[in-house]
Amino acid sequence: MNESRVEIRGVGLHLRRGGKGAPLLFLHGVQGLPAEVAALERLAERFEVLAPDHPGFGRSDAPDWLEDVGDLAFFYLDLLDALDLEGVHVVGASLGGWIAMEMAIRSEARIKSLTLADAAGIRVAGVPRSDMFIANPAELQKLLFAKEAAAAEWFAHWQGSPEGLATYDKNRHAAAKFTWQPRLYDPRLEKWLHRIKLPTQLVWGAEDRLIPPAHAERLAALIPGAETAMLPDCGHMAEIERPELFADTVSRFIERKRP
Amino acid sequence: MKVLFFHLMPYADLDLDYQQKYRTDWVILPNSYFDPVKGHALYNRYLDELELAAELGFDGISVNEHHQNAYGLMPSPVVMASALARRVKHAKIAILGNAFGLRDNPLTLAEEHAMIDVLTGGRLISGMVRGIGAEYYSMGANPAFSHERFHEAHDLVVQAWTRPGPFAFEGKHYRFEYVNVWPRPYQQPHPPIWCPSLGSGETIDWASAKERRYVYIQNFSPVASVIRYLNLYRQTAEKLHGYTASSEQIGWAAPIYVAETDARAKEEARIHIERLFSKYLNLPFEMMFPPGYLSAKSLAGMRAIKRPALAAGTMTIDNLMEAGIFLCGSPDTVRGKLVEAHRRLGFQNFLANLHFATLPADLTEKNLRLFATEVMPALQALSDKEYAGMETQAAE
Repeated sequence: MNESRVEIRGVGLHLRRGGKGAPLLFLHGVQGLPAEVAALERLAERFEVLAPDHPGFGRSDAPDWLEDVGDLAFFYLDLLDALDLEGVHVVGASLGGWIAMEMAIRSEARIKSLTLADAAGIRVAGVPRSDMFIANPAELQKLLFAKEAAAAEWFAHWQGSPEGLATYDKNRHAAAKFTWQPRLYDPRLEKWLHRIKLPTQLVWGAEDRLIPPAHAERLAALIPGAETAMLPDCGHMAEIERPELFADTVSRFIERKRP
Repeated sequence: MKVLFFHLMPYADLDLDYQQKYRTDWVILPNSYFDPVKGHALYNRYLDELELAAELGFDGISVNEHHQNAYGLMPSPVVMASALARRVKHAKIAILGNAFGLRDNPLTLAEEHAMIDVLTGGRLISGMVRGIGAEYYSMGANPAFSHERFHEAHDLVVQAWTRPGPFAFEGKHYRFEYVNVWPRPYQQPHPPIWCPSLGSGETIDWASAKERRYVYIQNFSPVASVIRYLNLYRQTAEKLHGYTASSEQIGWAAPIYVAETDARAKEEARIHIERLFSKYLNLPFEMMFPPGYLSAKSLAGMRAIKRPALAAGTMTIDNLMEAGIFLCGSPDTVRGKLVEAHRRLGFQNFLANLHFATLPADLTEKNLRLFATEVMPALQALSDKEYAGMETQAAE
């Protein structure tokens, strides 16, 4: 995939772009995007994939004026305008799923479908969740992944170099800024989800301990017509832990919904 | 020099085996570990100790804020300062500090500080702190905005104390249509503002600015850090802000234990001071430095030293004394160290933390009395005449 820097509303955004087909905007999760993402390479076989680092994350700028997830949603709607993209399949994981919902309730004009993977954004009362910030590295591995090997590989990626560690810290800083309070949700989001009229698929790691599958059930009840795909042996980061299954689940849904 | 007695009010009756079940005594240790009946006795004992210090001639007595932990039982130091306000007739009452920016409404604290200042006829010292990382978990405040909120809360509170009200305040984090604090503070223009810190160049830049000149207190640090940061304050005032800071603008806070002989002091203090660091100040990295709490540069620096000295669970009394974090010994020994530190650094404020962790009441009282009679008078006599002036190489 090509890596480039685009400027949207004065914010320098690191953007990976590649593949041919209908545009697919991938919005990464609260942990940020590593250097190599096999799931995106696989999606690029069928779509033109655009995967930005969110403002504050990775190699993107961290402007003060983007203060919350609602701001990020408007910002990405501005991005779709600026790049003049139409019929976009928005695929959001974790924090990215939250951003995708906030975009859709604001404007669906340029969006063709939604995929929400282990999405943050709502809170299901009574369902215990864990805190990714207070967890130490060992606890965090268990929190984010179903399988130990995947967890070890993920953390080795960040801890392998000073640059990796600096990006890891930068991502955590941005994650705190956008999701600390209330932790990973906005209590006002639920009441507007009925506005989503797009074909929507919920893709969830069956062993997601950060945002457990009960959240998928709740979203399925709130978003008209939403379908659900549970991925076995998979934790919070489906796109990292089960890349092929994730990509194929996304592709099949989009192709099935194509008129 | 002004000498203050600084109390943390730890939960001394803590079940010290808690680490078998919980990795820290902060934020996640269930409050079922706190027994209110024992807490009642402790609070009253600690207040007695603070009142005794005032009787013994300390220039001030000091309390502070921490949340949801066994290390310090004062989520609201205002409550303790208020409990002391009427009984203590002459000493300053120092709140070191309150984390104004942790509150969604810092004006309530501005009002409470003004009340204490009026009640005591102008004996309040207002400490302003950002709060340590763990408080951002406890209070649900976002650490990524902690610097912004600290500065904005400060601006709001100082304006509330000094500008004729009512006026509107329109900030990024705080917005009020009516700011009109009744009562206004007794001291004019406002109570002295002190900034206790574990060592921060950013805090020093800000506190030493010409229009602020706030007192900077280096807390619980190796003597090398005390030297570095107190000299940095003078140097920053001179080079960055263009004026010569007075020695009244800097201070040092340290745990201290004094007994009849060096050997006895060490023997009596050992288990308690080691518990302070291994059991009470037992803060994992993620709690000490939640994401966003430090700038990228500061966080990288903290990672480079692996674990901050204060969070290490392996501190022994020998290490602590050697580093100069803990001052312990006969009155001659402790007095000698402090007089020498003053000769080198010239600080005009010293905060003696004469109770720590599980130090029992009888030893605390003995420590207080010995320090007050055998060490403190020599310190209170120190002025700039005994200060040797800044050693330029030490400040680099």
